[in-house]
Amino acid sequence: MALTRIANIASTIPDDSIANVKMANIVQSKNILINGDMSVAQRSTSASSITSGGYHACDRWKEDMTSGGTWTISQSTTVPTGQGFATSLKMDCTTANGSLSANSELMVQQRLEGQNLQYLKKGTANAESTTLSFWVRSNKTGTYICELQDVDNTRQISKSYTISVADTWEKKTITFPGDTTGALDNNNARSLDCSFYLVAGSDLSSGTLSTTWTAKTDANRAVGQVNLADSTSNEWYITGVQLEAGDTASEFEFLPYGLNLERCLRYFYPIISISDTNNLNAFGYYYASGNIKIPIRLPTQMRTTPTLSQDVDTDALRFYRDATYDGLSGNFALDGNGTGRYLSIYNTTDASGTAGQAGQLYKYTPTQADSYIWLSAEL
Amino acid sequence: MINKIIMINTVTKNYNENNEFCSYQVTHVNSKVVTSVPLDEANTDYQAIQEWAAIDGNNIIDNGA
Repeated sequence: MALTRIANIASTIPDDSIANVKMANIVQSKNILINGDMSVAQRSTSASSITSGGYHACDRWKEDMTSGGTWTISQSTTVPTGQGFATSLKMDCTTANGSLSANSELMVQQRLEGQNLQYLKKGTANAESTTLSFWVRSNKTGTYICELQDVDNTRQISKSYTISVADTWEKKTITFPGDTTGALDNNNARSLDCSFYLVAGSDLSSGTLSTTWTAKTDANRAVGQVNLADSTSNEWYITGVQLEAGDTASEFEFLPYGLNLERCLRYFYPIISISDTNNLNAFGYYYASGNIKIPIRLPTQMRTTPTLSQDVDTDALRFYRDATYDGLSGNFALDGNGTGRYLSIYNTTDASGTAGQAGQLYKYTPTQADSYIWLSAEL
Repeated sequence: MINKIIMINTVTKNYNENNEFCSYQVTHVNSKVVTSVPLDEANTDYQAIQEWAAIDGNNIIDNGA
């Protein structure tokens, strides 16, 4: 009887409500970092010939780079066995720099909004320690540096870790003490960077490693860092990156892919992806005979009004309308209208229709497969 | 931010159908990528344009509405 009643009650609970309860708990993520398992790579799964800073492969992970060799940066399926990870971030040196300049640097970092970090109570007597844990692998053994940088107050702390065995996954745990000086701003701007150094010229390494929170002195930030750019044989993998409050590392918090993606979409949303092929991407209309407008509904509230970034080969896009199409070659611009969930882009260069005509924006391939239009609100 | 500033080649003001200055169109050094940057102070590309424009010799192109 009791089991029957429970079954009856359960059958009256909508499936969505159970999912929402689960999601509500998961959203309170203990991991300060986003996409720590490197499962989301919206821009590209592999970017080659990289010599300068930017976001290249795995979402939210920025490579900051100056005179640090040339790299292929990719989402890799090489992962630590039996730990539940399916992907990692791989840095593969393709042109070496064995003689670093003073200003040489290469770091993999994540930049964080201050409004998400207020619970760390930084700048108060109750400032929380934070613990960074991650799986790492490289052919190049030796000393590597991790850093937390408080951008609001120009402070930082660095800790070293050692890759002991070549080509072998190792789990590392580093605890940073709380900082009782310098509160983080409670806003959507860049407040804290979590960085993994791979290359550091003398500007960043000629002093004494700063292992306690202190005012930033560049020379003390990455002392002892090996030069991972000194050979084209060098590669470095990382996954399972978690930064959490407290002085112990807990098990990595695996999130459903959809939730991980949603967190990334706050910072990056592709209207047209490199991976898109012959598919519908958006709807639009002719505002005037020489002006195509494409309203975009954003999937979530982005951190700020995003930048539209486009690399579109000639006629790689088609705007189908009135039983014909216009070939478009990029040339889109933000029109300044919209709210946090909507924006509008326009093209007055390739347009030649009739005011009022509606149409569909397609990416036309296969010859222009690498064309894209992205929206970015990264830090 | 320094990387972003260095990579800026040209910056041109965009005007929308209401003749309002609505965004910046930016070309980049050694790149086919063209960006359209919103007039939002929290946007890091907007911040980079302001720093780039403050350097002697850099000028934002204004072709008018």
